[in-house]
Amino acid sequence: MSTSHTKDSSFLGGRIPPEIESLSKNLKDVDQETFRKILKAVVSALEGKDCREVMKSIAESSVISQERLSHIVAGMYRVLSDAIRIPTSSLKQEAFKEDLRDLRIPEEFITDFSSVVFGNRRAALEALTLQNDPHLPTLAELKWRVDVAISTSSLSRALQPSVLMQMKLSDGTFHQFELPVSKFQELRYNVALILKEMNDLEKRSILKIQD
Amino acid sequence: MADVDATKSLSGLLNGIAQKVYYNNPEITEELLKSELYPDLSQDEFKALHDKMRGLLKSIASADMDHTQLEAFLTAQTKKQGGAGVSAEQAAALSRFWKSQRTRVKESLLSQSHWEPSLRGLSWRVDLQTAAGRGDAAQGGPVALVELELGRMGQDSEFVCLEFDEAKVNQMLKKMADIQNSIDSIVHRTSQQKNAEA
Repeated sequence: MSTSHTKDSSFLGGRIPPEIESLSKNLKDVDQETFRKILKAVVSALEGKDCREVMKSIAESSVISQERLSHIVAGMYRVLSDAIRIPTSSLKQEAFKEDLRDLRIPEEFITDFSSVVFGNRRAALEALTLQNDPHLPTLAELKWRVDVAISTSSLSRALQPSVLMQMKLSDGTFHQFELPVSKFQELRYNVALILKEMNDLEKRSILKIQD
Repeated sequence: MADVDATKSLSGLLNGIAQKVYYNNPEITEELLKSELYPDLSQDEFKALHDKMRGLLKSIASADMDHTQLEAFLTAQTKKQGGAGVSAEQAAALSRFWKSQRTRVKESLLSQSHWEPSLRGLSWRVDLQTAAGRGDAAQGGPVALVELELGRMGQDSEFVCLEFDEAKVNQMLKKMADIQNSIDSIVHRTSQQKNAEA
């Protein structure tokens, strides 16, 4: 049928963000060399790097006014971050290019944008954005020791094993606690249950909405 | 009839002492036990009985006597002459009490010599992350959120929340299997030793 002709909505959603809408106007007369310099800076900003120095040198060496430059940077940043949000299975390279053509972005710039979004940098950028999502700390290290109390001030013949656990979390904090064997078994049971629950979830794949 | 009452009072006294000494129940006092269980006894008589029972319980508890040890101990006590000895009813009450409370008393005594915070509770949830403000995370797989409740004796709990992906849960489970093996090897060895002794 004619699905290839009816165009899905743009990756930018229903309303085009103003900084992207004005991008084609602002990019007028910008040569490709300057564009690539800015693009490089924007990508490193997406990667979480400090690019103030680079931006400063671009601003000083180019004829573009500071205000226009900041609009360009904002627009490019938005194009890239919005495009990377969407999995490649949903946003095809052709559709992305088509969207940018609709915005009257010059063809050579479209190619550059596309090589960032669909090129080999993609995985690194995705991993990085994933890291920036809100997270709880994870377990970085688990050390343990099994002790047997032989005798104590209140129990002459204790002979009771207990487990001492030390957890180091990814936020750098340490937590140490002691478990009698019964409590340890309860913990182990629950961890096994969590794993089973996770496996079941994957088997059912109830939420695979990748069309 | 009087015997039944005496037995009841005696087990009441033993349980009262356990509440006071081993389970840290501040509501139970000597005065309360006397007025509730032995109103007819003089103060001195009650004190003697109370202290004797407390002393016997302490000996039994600190040695964590098993059934055979307890019987031997009580037999020796009943043979003692005069006020220091234990009557047959008292021996029976002690035996009954210990049968039902041994585990709990032992746990309480063990916890008196634990200074690290212990794990009080654990709750968890498995989530599937579907999207995030930046970046699509549908490929992220399920995530387990775990909350550990830790606390020292007599102190408020501290809650530690952490996140696990499947690989981490797997790792954790492997470590726990190692720990279990280690415990089993000790328990196995000591039970072998016990058998050898016997």
